[in-house]
Amino acid sequence: MGEIMSLIFAAKSIITMNPSQARATHMAVRDGHILAVGDASHIAQWRQAWGDMPIDESLSDKILMPGFVEGHTHMMEGLFWNYDYVGYYDREGPDGNVIAGLKSIDDVVARLSQINQQRDDKTQPLIAWGFDPIFFDGRRMNTADLDKVSTDCPVIVLHASLHILNTNSLVIEQAGVTPGDNNEAVRRDENGHPSGEFLGQLGMYMAMRTTGLDLLGAAGSAQTLINFANVARQTGVTTATDLANPVPVEAVQTMRDTVSQDSFPMRLVVAFQGGGADPQAGIARIQELQSQQTDKLRFSLVKFVADGSIQGFSARLKFPGYFNGADNGLWYIEPDRLKSLISAYHAAGIQIHIHTNGDECTDVALDAIEAALRENPWPDHRHTLQHCQMANRAQFKRMAKLGVGVNLFSNHLYYWGDAHINITMGPERAARLDDAGGALAENVPVAIHSDAPVTALAPLFTAWCAVNRVSSKGVKLGGETEKLTVEQALYAITMGAAYSLHMDHEIGSLEVGKRADVAILEADPLQVEAAHLKDIAVYGTILGGKVHVNKRGAK
Amino acid sequence: MSNKVVPITIIAGFLGTGKTGLLNHLLAHAEGRRLTALVNDFGALNIDSELIAAQNGNQISLANGCVCCSIGDDLTLALAQVMNQTPRPDHILIEASGVADPARIAGFAQVDRELRLDGIITLVDALAHQRHANDPHLADNYQRQIEAGHFLLLSKTDLASAAQTQSVSQQLAAQKPTTPIAIIEHGVFDAKVLLGLNETGLLPAQAEIKHDLRQWSAHMTAPVPRLDLLNSLSTLAPHLLRAKAVLHDAEGAYVLHYAGGQSSVSPFDASPSGHFVLIGKPDMPDDASLAQLLTPQAPLPAHRQTEARQ
Repeated sequence: MGEIMSLIFAAKSIITMNPSQARATHMAVRDGHILAVGDASHIAQWRQAWGDMPIDESLSDKILMPGFVEGHTHMMEGLFWNYDYVGYYDREGPDGNVIAGLKSIDDVVARLSQINQQRDDKTQPLIAWGFDPIFFDGRRMNTADLDKVSTDCPVIVLHASLHILNTNSLVIEQAGVTPGDNNEAVRRDENGHPSGEFLGQLGMYMAMRTTGLDLLGAAGSAQTLINFANVARQTGVTTATDLANPVPVEAVQTMRDTVSQDSFPMRLVVAFQGGGADPQAGIARIQELQSQQTDKLRFSLVKFVADGSIQGFSARLKFPGYFNGADNGLWYIEPDRLKSLISAYHAAGIQIHIHTNGDECTDVALDAIEAALRENPWPDHRHTLQHCQMANRAQFKRMAKLGVGVNLFSNHLYYWGDAHINITMGPERAARLDDAGGALAENVPVAIHSDAPVTALAPLFTAWCAVNRVSSKGVKLGGETEKLTVEQALYAITMGAAYSLHMDHEIGSLEVGKRADVAILEADPLQVEAAHLKDIAVYGTILGGKVHVNKRGAK
Repeated sequence: MSNKVVPITIIAGFLGTGKTGLLNHLLAHAEGRRLTALVNDFGALNIDSELIAAQNGNQISLANGCVCCSIGDDLTLALAQVMNQTPRPDHILIEASGVADPARIAGFAQVDRELRLDGIITLVDALAHQRHANDPHLADNYQRQIEAGHFLLLSKTDLASAAQTQSVSQQLAAQKPTTPIAIIEHGVFDAKVLLGLNETGLLPAQAEIKHDLRQWSAHMTAPVPRLDLLNSLSTLAPHLLRAKAVLHDAEGAYVLHYAGGQSSVSPFDASPSGHFVLIGKPDMPDDASLAQLLTPQAPLPAHRQTEARQ
């Protein structure tokens, strides 16, 4: 860097998230950190001792907030941008170009046909992603739709959730699909033939086999990382997580080289995927990784995935289980083993994040943490339950006593709220799905997340979900007790998430001494109607004092 | 996509029921097959370092041609990578995690014409059976694994009392009357029973059926109508563990696999060897009865003929 850079940003208003100084208009930055926050006259006082600093007036009509912190995303978000986006909403790609949303299945077919026509080798697999049938009034995509795109190459359309995909009939023929009577992963039409829709891992396996593409394995490449960071940055994110990653030796150098570049616009926290059988090996690996951390790349925690998903009926539920009577879900780690894993990582002083979707799984995780705390007291561990969508007040009370935080999957309210009311949980439990209001009332530290690429990465949208609690069909889930206020939601996507990552002393608010990480907004989230929170345009971000302007913002 | 079809065997069972011991045994007694085992943890396998030919990252190659791959976080990816490799292994073993639903894993074979589900082997710990069956968090999972099993292997019987073993065995038999149940001692069980006979249908020269199992084999040059054979095998089901036949009938040559109570017949695109091998429990009918039942020139007993025509 050489010379120490100092600069003053003048804004329309700065929401600092620092309780002792809620608002400001000016912020001085020195060497990537915040030197001063206040109004013009306040900043002038700093100039006396610290010398003259240029003022950047380019943001004088913008609202500044602490850069958003996304505490539960996956680097894989960046992988899919190598394929064609066919989602419902307009979406800004990593290159900043906006891809128009597609409002019907026919539009999706037309777009894919056009892409196919324009490419040279029409026998190569055609892969698209982001498709979401919740917007199409119950009409499902089928093989006849995708056969209109091509019958000469495999055509695969991944749904936004990544839990479902559609294929053309060539894929079904090449795979030799023979659905057993009980194979729920193969959807069938009224005649009993595969409809072209495949669920879960089975669908992903079939896609990888028929295309020969490593649809999941290329997630560690530099391009994927860059795509991921750019997509996150465009929504105001300055710190995001990859939750989790096995962090193979060969991937670390790529991560370090990529993330350390000045043009890489984000801090990345990589959680070590800790489900492996030998915790001591995992602990040693994390300690080794931690010795290689930088200000932009952290390996601060371990993650366990203890059950599946609610909408996939693989989450572990307490009585009475699933609303539709489906069998209880699956443990991804057996309770006894989870207990010994948590005990070992906790004893080594490594922060633990645990994916628990169903309430039975939440109980088991809390039992394990409680046992670990009896063995080795650790007052500020900040172990965090991820998703934790069905937690009730008794569980939140326990979490508060145990010092456990929660990172709730608020986007679920919108994406699967209707399914939770009508199919998976029934109305009572769906009303307190992702109960952020309840968690705060019980004094549990709260963050909220997208789980991107499972749902759209955009913290203001996630905040909107937690505040408005409306499903995609417009149905309310719960009310005043469960919702967050706008202030609480903004806290959750900044300080709340920073706290869950043990980074709240560095990021999450704009105050003296912290990193100069900023989300630059076109409107004041505390002034707009709560219903329009998600519509606030993001102009860009500042990371360590360096401004990154969105392509849209730059026009 | 002209590669050969690979049989796949899923080894299920709770943590501590002996999956690793069994995998070790199968890898060491592959009898010329190139097995690829997808396992949860290399360390637990404790492979003798003298047997390791090469190790890189998540893969260990053994001197006998077998390979172990670590599943990591994603079985989907691990299995797809094995199937996209050339040459393919002769047989794939998947060590299901202690809490997996093996039936879901078996579903992969339904969407891959180059995979054939050979069977699900579920290990049941005789000592811990009651505890597992009553575990508040795991009982449903446990039942799923037992329900999905095509072979049930009772482990730890040396630590359990005879009465305990018998009680577990009876409970399982009542729950799954047509599924073979056998005792496995210290991870040792005949690979031919668990993985089937090799692709030629021939038993290795030193073939030796261990435990209290019986073997019957024949060489048949005359045509054997496949439907008749399927019917005859179904009458043997309570006694039968494995069968393989490479025969022909009016429709042409075919290969028949029988495992875990299920038969599959597929066309055979070479000259049929005429080999026919059965492996069964000790109570399998004697050789003469088998010959009478299964050899076409011997007239079928009257009631069998009736059944066969139904």
